[in-house]
Amino acid sequence: MSVAEVEASELELEPASGGLWRDALQRLRRSPAAIVGLVMIATLVVVALFAPWIAPYSPTEQNLEAIAGGCCPGPSREHLLGLDDLGRDELSRLIYGARYSLLIGVVAVAIGLTMGLLLGAMAGYFRRADSPIMRLMDIMLAIPGFLMAIGIVALFGEGGLLQVMIAIGVVNIPIFTRLMRGSIIAQRDNDYVLAARSVGVPSRKILGSHIVPNAISPVIVAATLALATAIIDAAGLGFLGLGPQDPATPEWGTMLTNTVRYLQTAPFLAIFPGIAIVIAVMGFNLIGDALREALDPKLRGRT
Amino acid sequence: MLRFAVRRLLLLVPILIGLSLLVFVWIRALPGSPAQALLGERATDESIAHVRSQYGLDEPLYEQYWRYLQTVGSGDLGTSIRSRRPITEEIRERFPATVELSISAMLFATLIGIPLGFVAAKRHGGLTDNASLFLSLIGVSIPIFFLALILKWIFAVELGWLPSVGRQDVLIDADHPTNFYVLDGIITRNWTAAWDAVKHLILPAIALGSIPLAIIARITRASVLDVQNEDYVRTARAKGISTGAVDRRHVLRNAMLPISTIVGLQVGLLLSGAILTETVFAFPGIGTWLKEAIDNRDYPVIQGACSSSRSSSCS
Repeated sequence: MSVAEVEASELELEPASGGLWRDALQRLRRSPAAIVGLVMIATLVVVALFAPWIAPYSPTEQNLEAIAGGCCPGPSREHLLGLDDLGRDELSRLIYGARYSLLIGVVAVAIGLTMGLLLGAMAGYFRRADSPIMRLMDIMLAIPGFLMAIGIVALFGEGGLLQVMIAIGVVNIPIFTRLMRGSIIAQRDNDYVLAARSVGVPSRKILGSHIVPNAISPVIVAATLALATAIIDAAGLGFLGLGPQDPATPEWGTMLTNTVRYLQTAPFLAIFPGIAIVIAVMGFNLIGDALREALDPKLRGRT
Repeated sequence: MLRFAVRRLLLLVPILIGLSLLVFVWIRALPGSPAQALLGERATDESIAHVRSQYGLDEPLYEQYWRYLQTVGSGDLGTSIRSRRPITEEIRERFPATVELSISAMLFATLIGIPLGFVAAKRHGGLTDNASLFLSLIGVSIPIFFLALILKWIFAVELGWLPSVGRQDVLIDADHPTNFYVLDGIITRNWTAAWDAVKHLILPAIALGSIPLAIIARITRASVLDVQNEDYVRTARAKGISTGAVDRRHVLRNAMLPISTIVGLQVGLLLSGAILTETVFAFPGIGTWLKEAIDNRDYPVIQGACSSSRSSSCS
């Protein structure tokens, strides 16, 4: 930075709108962790979107001749990651599985985020709603999250894609509610809110177009990290046998649990889905951490 | 301070009542009934009605809830519909198992995590630092059950160094006055039993401790980095105190505050992971018990296990 630039930046007391985000984007581009994470997630998204074209076989197609000699032939040229216990191509199932794991993660976080933002904004802005909403969240937080997810899936009677999404989504609600409320309370008594109120802006509009945009950045970081947790939890539910049971929807956690029996003879059947989960989770964790650093106002200007 | 503590504790009362109500309503909303789960698919209507009246399941819901509150208040949690054993008795056996596992996991996490984070901060930007950052990234990204399976496969199945299931070898004859198996072995001076219990704890503890380990290492690193640049540390150094003493008496002691907060928070989160860890290692604790009870619609067990784990997760 030249002297002139330093002076210019000192002169600019109020940064232009979008400044935080432009700053953050710049810092993200220079963070190797963010780039690695983005590449991992982008690859998974592409694989998930184009699964029918990328996958060498259909996820339900069985090659019964290949497993006639016992379970389970390991990686070969025809089947790069081998075959599972029912003679299905492991690689193809992993590729299709990317769809379900990402979908579960995104939908679950979307459920938690929407409900959490709504409740958190109400609790933070309307003082009368604060206590009842937050006590309800305290009750939800008192139940261990994964246990609550198991309980919600049990409530539906059987495991499935939608059930797992809803269960993990509900578990996420109190997290986002608390975060949003905290953020809003920090903004609520700011001068610009007072100014908006004094010129007669209705409170719904103050909340929606003034406070929420200013309070949202910690929520975005939390949402990215929640995606990672949601994928782990979904795999955990699948591992306990509560995931989608349809053989045409190869969810990674369910794939892992179905092949645990062959751990001694064919460990790769459990290891490959496990690695797939680790890659997805790590990608979101890397992006989330990098975002947190990029959006931290304390680090602003230190590009 | 006392007033604040009392106020916080009083605030817990409505939460506990709300929680008990939530659990009560939720388990009765589960599809399928305990009578059906107990008697199987071919049960006749009469036998189901008999079991329902035997466990008071045909009474109106508010009466069932009142009875539940009464039993909890008197310290008796009823009988399991599945195993027909008193719930308090099963909790006495299973709760120590989960506590023992959790303590071992936290010991593993803090004993490795704090030194790791400390060394990483001392060599900020160096190889150790990057290695510890990578390790903690792996720690938070690897699903507990996957790590547990891999550990079990390598160390129990392939290498045969450690046992793969349960809390103690069935062939070992040991008394269990407290049901904390390691402690039992020490109290009764049965060293083989104690050592065997420890060996059964190692793999599950590593699996369960992996996430807390990663988080503790990260917080320690960040907190030591923060403290290192404080003025009082510079003053201490300027006074000529040796590096080791500065680290011990000034840096680490001040860095411990956020670390101990995070350790406390992680303890409350262990139960979620315990369900998966206990499943992989067939460890007879609260987690597997609760999972089975949900599958079998064993209402009294779910209520009992929830109220016994509630105390830990509420605080």
